[in-house]
Amino acid sequence: MLTVSVKWQKKVFEGIEIDVTLPPYVFKAQLYDLTGVPPERQKIMVKGGLLKDDADWSAIGVKDGQKLMMMGTADEIVKAPEKAIVFAEDLPEEEQATNLGYSAGLVNLGNTCYMNSTVQCLKSVPELKAALSNYSLAGRSNDVDQTSHMLTVATRELFSDLDKSVNAVSPSQFWMVLRKKYPQFSQLQNGMHMQQDAEECWTQLLYTLSQSLKAPTSSEDSDAVKALFGVNLRSRLHCQESGEESSETESVYSLKCHISHEVNHLHEGLKHGLKGELEKTSPALGRSALYLKESLIDSLPRYLTVQFVRFFWKRETNQKAKILRKVDYPLELDIYDLCSEDLRKKLEAPRQKLRDEEGKKLGLQTSAKSSAKDSDVKMTDAEASSHGSGESSTVTPQEGASSEKETHMTGIYDLVSVLTHKGRSADSGHYVAWVKQESGKWIQYDDDHPSLQREEDITKLSGGGDWHMAYIIMYKARFVSM
Amino acid sequence: MAPVPDPNNVSGGAKRDEATVKVPSKDPKKKDDKKEEDLSEEDLQLKQNLELYVERVQDPNPELQKAALESMRQEIRASTSSMTSVPKPLKFLRPHYGTLKEFHKNMAESDLKKMLADILSVLALTMSAEGERESLGYRLTGSEGDIGSWGHEYVRNLAGEIAEEYTMRQGEESSIEDLMDLVQQIVAFHMKHNAETEAVDLLMDVEDLDLLLEHVDRTNFRRTCNYLTSAAKYLPGPDDMLVLDIAYMIYIKFEEYPNALQIALFLDNMQYVKQVFTSCTDLLRKKQFCYMISRHGITFELDPEMVADDVDREMLQDIVNNTKLSEGYLTLARDIEVMEAKTPEDIYKAHLLDGRASSAPSTDSARHNLAATFVNAFVNAGFGQDKLMTVPSDSTSGSAGNWLFKNKEHGKTSAAASLGMILLWDVDSGLAQLDKYFHSNDNPIIAGALLGVGIVNCGIKNDCDPALALLGEYIEKEDPSVRIGAIMGLGIAYAGSQNDQIRSSLSPILNDAKAPLDVIAFAALSLGMIYVGSCNEEVAQSIIFALMDRSEAELGEAITRFLPLGLGLLYLGKQESVEATAEVSKTFNEKIRKYCDMTLLSCAYAGTGNVLKVQDLLAQCGEHLEKGDIHQGPAVLGLAMVAMSEELGLDMEIRSLERVLQYGEQNIRRAVPLALGLLCISNPKVNVMDTLSRLSHDTDSEVAMAAIISLGLIGAGTNNARIAGMLRNLSSYYYKDPSLLFCVRIAQGLVHMGKGLLSLSPFHSERLLLSPTALAGIVTLLHACLDMKSIILGKYHYVLYFLVLAMQPRMMLTVDENLKPISVPVRVGQAVDVVGQAGRPKTITGFQTHSTPVLLAAGERAELATDKYIPLSPILEGFIILKENPDYREE
Repeated sequence: MLTVSVKWQKKVFEGIEIDVTLPPYVFKAQLYDLTGVPPERQKIMVKGGLLKDDADWSAIGVKDGQKLMMMGTADEIVKAPEKAIVFAEDLPEEEQATNLGYSAGLVNLGNTCYMNSTVQCLKSVPELKAALSNYSLAGRSNDVDQTSHMLTVATRELFSDLDKSVNAVSPSQFWMVLRKKYPQFSQLQNGMHMQQDAEECWTQLLYTLSQSLKAPTSSEDSDAVKALFGVNLRSRLHCQESGEESSETESVYSLKCHISHEVNHLHEGLKHGLKGELEKTSPALGRSALYLKESLIDSLPRYLTVQFVRFFWKRETNQKAKILRKVDYPLELDIYDLCSEDLRKKLEAPRQKLRDEEGKKLGLQTSAKSSAKDSDVKMTDAEASSHGSGESSTVTPQEGASSEKETHMTGIYDLVSVLTHKGRSADSGHYVAWVKQESGKWIQYDDDHPSLQREEDITKLSGGGDWHMAYIIMYKARFVSM
Repeated sequence: MAPVPDPNNVSGGAKRDEATVKVPSKDPKKKDDKKEEDLSEEDLQLKQNLELYVERVQDPNPELQKAALESMRQEIRASTSSMTSVPKPLKFLRPHYGTLKEFHKNMAESDLKKMLADILSVLALTMSAEGERESLGYRLTGSEGDIGSWGHEYVRNLAGEIAEEYTMRQGEESSIEDLMDLVQQIVAFHMKHNAETEAVDLLMDVEDLDLLLEHVDRTNFRRTCNYLTSAAKYLPGPDDMLVLDIAYMIYIKFEEYPNALQIALFLDNMQYVKQVFTSCTDLLRKKQFCYMISRHGITFELDPEMVADDVDREMLQDIVNNTKLSEGYLTLARDIEVMEAKTPEDIYKAHLLDGRASSAPSTDSARHNLAATFVNAFVNAGFGQDKLMTVPSDSTSGSAGNWLFKNKEHGKTSAAASLGMILLWDVDSGLAQLDKYFHSNDNPIIAGALLGVGIVNCGIKNDCDPALALLGEYIEKEDPSVRIGAIMGLGIAYAGSQNDQIRSSLSPILNDAKAPLDVIAFAALSLGMIYVGSCNEEVAQSIIFALMDRSEAELGEAITRFLPLGLGLLYLGKQESVEATAEVSKTFNEKIRKYCDMTLLSCAYAGTGNVLKVQDLLAQCGEHLEKGDIHQGPAVLGLAMVAMSEELGLDMEIRSLERVLQYGEQNIRRAVPLALGLLCISNPKVNVMDTLSRLSHDTDSEVAMAAIISLGLIGAGTNNARIAGMLRNLSSYYYKDPSLLFCVRIAQGLVHMGKGLLSLSPFHSERLLLSPTALAGIVTLLHACLDMKSIILGKYHYVLYFLVLAMQPRMMLTVDENLKPISVPVRVGQAVDVVGQAGRPKTITGFQTHSTPVLLAAGERAELATDKYIPLSPILEGFIILKENPDYREE
């Protein structure tokens, strides 16, 4: 008979007797009573080894009063989770892309950054993507020519490629088709394709898409592109000489921001752009006379495109020169005072609603702050409600036409993408797209190299130096549900 | 005023000699003439007197002679006490030096001749040309009277001449007995007059330090020993050991046992350690010794001779075995209130990064989770709780319970082992919690459990040897990952133990032709750790054979580098003992030969500060190699290893590494950040931080990775806000590069290691002692980092756990006589070097008063701010036992 003490975890069991004639298994059974650890899970350490169930006590040489150590728990054995964990590294490429939170860049095929940045900016319009994905051969109307059709298909393919891929996509197919449709982009210089004006590319591409995406019924209203980007202007022509007045309406895809010495801010530039002089035959005078043209916005688009007129043809140097003047633009644009009277009336109610909601949000938050000490619960409530109202004020585009009845334009727009140019003339330099993601993060698409940017850096692209400066910017309308 | 350069305004012996050369009697006469007019009345009187004496000395009448000599002596003695200018009598006697010399030569042997010789000896102080040693010559023929009566300056000059004479006579092999008599006198004089440093210098010059023992007393032994120990760092070859030997003996003589023990440990002389125990009779003090030994991390077995009583011995052995470390560490943590577990996200602090930080991905990234596993392990090391691994596993709803399975394949090994890190030093709970993994049927998990057992037991010894018992049987398993887990676990748990049982089970693996390469590599490494600094022949043989058996292709593998490293660790800090093995290594395949050579050299001279070896290694780095040679990496690391021991060498090394960085080739540049990391480990020097920060943006990604890891190393356990900020910015800078991001995460984990309570520095006891196991752990990691891509970023990331060998709480914890923690006020401040300083200078500066337990940063020192207690060790680090001061009176 031996007496030993056994240490298990932090406990010590003193004076356990061992009957050396019986196998150690019996000893383990004794310990089972004390610790609740089943014998097969017990590991008993005797100087440099484990005690085996069938060992011979005499061979082990346990002395009287020796301290033994036992390891073992009755814990549950770890099991792998039934649903195997999926690691990002194992995912196929396209799924990894979604993890990044933004899509891939485009390979520069030789001075094609104007095209790449245009594509990236347009791709950020989910409605356009949706319209494109609905476009199919069947939907092709007869008045669309072959090349336009091909360009539309190529655009659709390119957009879907970008969404799928992690690595930069080469837009070679798209480029080929684009050149086919618009041979001016094939201009060569020293055997290389020339840098082109992104604005031209933007306009042409949108034009083509608007042609081909017209619904087969070919009524005006079903023009998807126009519904998204079209701005209806009502202009009043006034001839000072004769005092004649006439009005006309037109539809444009973008507003121009004219840059002159007085223009420091986008708003001023836009106003400037909506006023103009033109020479026209005056029926009253019977000769051409100078007319003053003042335009006002008659209907608002979902996406408001503004082009900074930074390039002008400089006769002396025979090239498109650039105005480097700094023109600030806001992240949130209100174009209420550019609207026509009719439109303003329509906007009144939604704007009031929006103001109320915002006021409520602020008001609630202040009241919540003051009462925060009294009740935490109230504050969380308040936060939740303000959060909720914030969400309802911006309607997600996916809801589409069905919810349009309840949502209304407010005349307020949020900046969603910026196409910038860096360099001194339109046919040289570098174009880059800066696009706001659905997550609210800004991504700079510099050809094949997308990178995260901070929001405050986006407003720094307003020009006045040699840094990237905004050339075309796109705003998205803010809706309010009523 | 005096046109003659004042020879006395310089204190050093050598400089004075130079000054005297300039004085020789070329033009003094002319100048003396001019000067005569300026002399004051007193001086004129003195001058005339002296001239009279000189004349009378030459008088045939011995009576007159004697009177003149005595008067002259009187004048000189009266004036030589002043040190600020040339004593006037000496100045006035200068023109007569030649005359007196001449006269002395012709004098008959007599007492008078001796007296004159004495005076000439003093005059020679300023007159004799360099190298003539006339002062000494006349002294030896003189009357051998009290040496101190002629003033300090004279004695100092004499000491300088003795040293020269001694080297000359050594060369000629002539007798030095007469010199030694003089040395005796001088040493006695110096030791009495607070000039211990000079006495030691002289004795070192004449190679007879034993004399010191006779002359030290209670008042001066501390300063003497202080000087000896710090001088040892700069002495070559066997001299340093000799000096420390003397210091040890002095400490023993004056019963200053903690210091004696410190030196015994430095000398790695177990006989001395034992002597400390046998000489001391106080049990409480012995407990303090045990704490010191446990901090050093060596395996030490107390025998009845050292501690007679069985119960006492067991208690002391428990302290040596570090069983209370966990408890002390947790006491510290509770006192500082950092028990709350931290998640990796708390460390990353992504919310402080604006915009750029990508949001948490929706799916789990294995790389990301692996980094989180390590960060979690390092940050919560030793606390016994965390938010990933120790949360109850039955909460199946939460993802936390299954963190283990959020790691992929070999990642699970690191995850399971991280539990060991979290429960570091707490063997009982650690084994209990790791137990569940042993029953898994997933090999990587078992491997992790084995490794975890090793980590839990790191630095802790236990009679039952649980690590050996548990891991032993897994060494022979089929699966290589399980084998590596067991082997590495043993290496960590038994580092420095020289356990024969493990050797007999690991050695066969080395020469097993069927064993996979990585298993062999880890076996060699573990053996190197277990036998670190032992110079064990048999282990060396096994590793050498294993290296010779490797095929050309295998030698090209990254993991093979652990074989030479294992070999090198055997000789860690053992200097010449490596030579035989280094010879053998020259016969290796050329692919590994140089690598092996560099590793052996750098390990053997690690922490010695040997300048010649630094030069050897620098020469290696200067070569421009063809592609493919990898031996310059270990050479650069070697530079740091050799030079890291003392502050001056360390600063010089940092500067020379800067050059290496500029002119070296890419493979050298990759190692430089690691070398910097080693030099300043857990000691974030601003200049090094800046260099590393610059390198962390290097275009070569491997340089950048090494720099990032090194940023973690220099900040390890400091919570340094600046490094933390740098790393945070790097995490957003490299957010797209998974490899670099992984390195940044690891570095972040290191900086917040143990929530700032731990240190990786292998140095302790006021930077005197170098823990061999700690250094082994760090060096292993650094060697692994030389090929980051294949080892740490590959599937051997668990080598990061080798750092556990170096992890120690950077605390000072005071305990009472029953070893219960007590809180006392202490002053903590920057340590000041007081070696050789006059008086009783302050040892710390810019201090703040805290109450214990306190944290000590690199270069800080603590002192008690109360007289109520007496610490049992003068080095206030780690565990300190306090004894009540019997003389203390409450105010």
